[in-house]
Amino acid sequence: MEPVVSLNSLATECSSLSPTAPIWQDVLAQAMTGELIAAMNYASLSEICDDPEEIADALEHAQIERGHAARFAAEGRRIGVDVPNNVEAKHWKRLREAFMRCIAEHDFIGCLIVQEIMLESFAVASYARVGKVAPGSLGKTFAAIAAEEEEHVDHAMAILRAERALDAQRFDDKVYRLHLDVMTTLAKMLAKECKDGHCEVCHGNCVKPSLFDISLSAAELRGASLQQYLKTLDMLGLPGEVTLTWVTQLPV
Amino acid sequence: MGDSVASVTDVDFALVGHQESWRAAADVIAHLRGPEHTPLPDDEIKDILPWIPPRTVCHVEVRSIAGARARGLYIDSFIPPDRLEAVHVRENIARVRGAAACAIKAGAKIVSLGGFSSILIEGNFDQLPEKHDTVFTTGNSLTVGFIVQGIRKMCALEGRNLRRSTLLIVGATGDVGSGCARCLAPIVRRVLLSARNVERLRKLAAELEAHGTQVEIATDLQQFSAEADIVICAASLGSPSLLLGRVAPHAIVCDAGYPKNLSPGAEMPGAKVFFGGLGQITGGLSFAPDFHGILNRHPFPDVVHGCLLEGMALALEDRFEPFSQGRGFITQERVEEIEAIAARHGIYLAPLYNADGPVENGLDCQAEMIGRMSARDKDQVELTAADFCGAS
Repeated sequence: MEPVVSLNSLATECSSLSPTAPIWQDVLAQAMTGELIAAMNYASLSEICDDPEEIADALEHAQIERGHAARFAAEGRRIGVDVPNNVEAKHWKRLREAFMRCIAEHDFIGCLIVQEIMLESFAVASYARVGKVAPGSLGKTFAAIAAEEEEHVDHAMAILRAERALDAQRFDDKVYRLHLDVMTTLAKMLAKECKDGHCEVCHGNCVKPSLFDISLSAAELRGASLQQYLKTLDMLGLPGEVTLTWVTQLPV
Repeated sequence: MGDSVASVTDVDFALVGHQESWRAAADVIAHLRGPEHTPLPDDEIKDILPWIPPRTVCHVEVRSIAGARARGLYIDSFIPPDRLEAVHVRENIARVRGAAACAIKAGAKIVSLGGFSSILIEGNFDQLPEKHDTVFTTGNSLTVGFIVQGIRKMCALEGRNLRRSTLLIVGATGDVGSGCARCLAPIVRRVLLSARNVERLRKLAAELEAHGTQVEIATDLQQFSAEADIVICAASLGSPSLLLGRVAPHAIVCDAGYPKNLSPGAEMPGAKVFFGGLGQITGGLSFAPDFHGILNRHPFPDVVHGCLLEGMALALEDRFEPFSQGRGFITQERVEEIEAIAARHGIYLAPLYNADGPVENGLDCQAEMIGRMSARDKDQVELTAADFCGAS
């Protein structure tokens, strides 16, 4: 599949390749693919919104996510690598399909739960960790995008809290159904080793064992992501003992 | 036993704790995963647990022999068992603070802080979340009570005379250690106090000496001039690493640490070791989900650490007050007061045991013992085994 963002349209500022550039290339490829999935999800969301303001919001979010993807591509060029993307890669495709099932059911709340609670928890936490260790401009970009994604979550939280206030049990049951679908896939993506074969995003072998070379680890990214997810569910008001059980039952 | 707890709307108490070993943590995670999921490998547990934010693990209900019942929560701070050393204190305070916030959010009327969690109100009370109606207790007064009861019981079982004993307290300047010193100093021949901070040792020694106790202090256990025949280990150690070295043959040793103080490799031939500070609930204890034997890993049913039992006893008594706070304020009078409250609700000294199992040869005598003890003159020291073991 063609990259959704054309790399040729971006300004070029290449530096010499460092030994860790191939690792950053894969990290950026995962991030960029995630942003493009998010952009596609928001674009799809705009099609089921009735309120013109909601439609505008969804389209604006889609545009912001595309902008994030472009910034990741630009960071790749700065360190002398092309940043590929593959929204058809098996895990990302499954996540997109889960979102599209909510779209098919015109389930606006379900869409917000998948995108804002589950996928964005993963993005916010992992970008923040990468932002702490990535050098220079690359680190600043990851940290800045993590902060922007967190603002998205704040916007959705108010809507979701209001929805939960109407019928907490029904809301929690919905979150659990989506958790089983989406978080199981995310947990497999975040596992310390890719047990189901190549993820179809990394350009060569799996990047996870190499993350130690850039002061990261797959375990750290998984831990931070699941922690962010649990904290987000806490903020929504779901019982902590219930969400703890959900998370401990995820595959590793 | 093991009844399910109805959905909890009123939260009388919250118990804040953490697991003392990776084995214990693994059992909690395995229980949460349920039998349909394979247990996680140890390396995955060590990777995942440190990221879990403090939160409720289960609901708890405790019942009194007097008919009262109290409902609460067990909140785990998820302090990793290998990060209990002082170097992690800031991170651990943040975790306990998070657990305290969970208890406040749940509307708990009283919170007992177990194990390392008590650091929050022993010296960091200002770190608690502000603006709430929840009160906090370290639970250390009842822990001291059960340690002292255990020592007296063991002495009776072994036919020892406390008045002729030399008592060593390791971790003597801590809240539990100093409380034990105040309770036992008047009834032993001599007290040896050991801790890391020599200034605090001197202060405690002066306090005890003012009441006529013969006291020796040392930061190094090898410096004492005499051998102890009764030892209380109450130090805040990150792992069981204490080697006592020189103690009298057949010494009575109470390991009251959480995690345990004594190194598994400690060689003390002839010593009578038991785990101290534990109480047993006789009116009934339920968890939902059922964590019996997982959160309270003891060879006897419904045994719980004294620090956590203090909050439960106060809740059963409908006394929501910060019974134990700060460090170094535990007195014999306060210990007797909380012991009496606990006993009124059927919370007694647990049967004594150690890593090898029960130390009482199967004698199940604690309830009768405490009943008689409460009725006796508290100043009477020379109890016999018959006082403790239902020799009727």
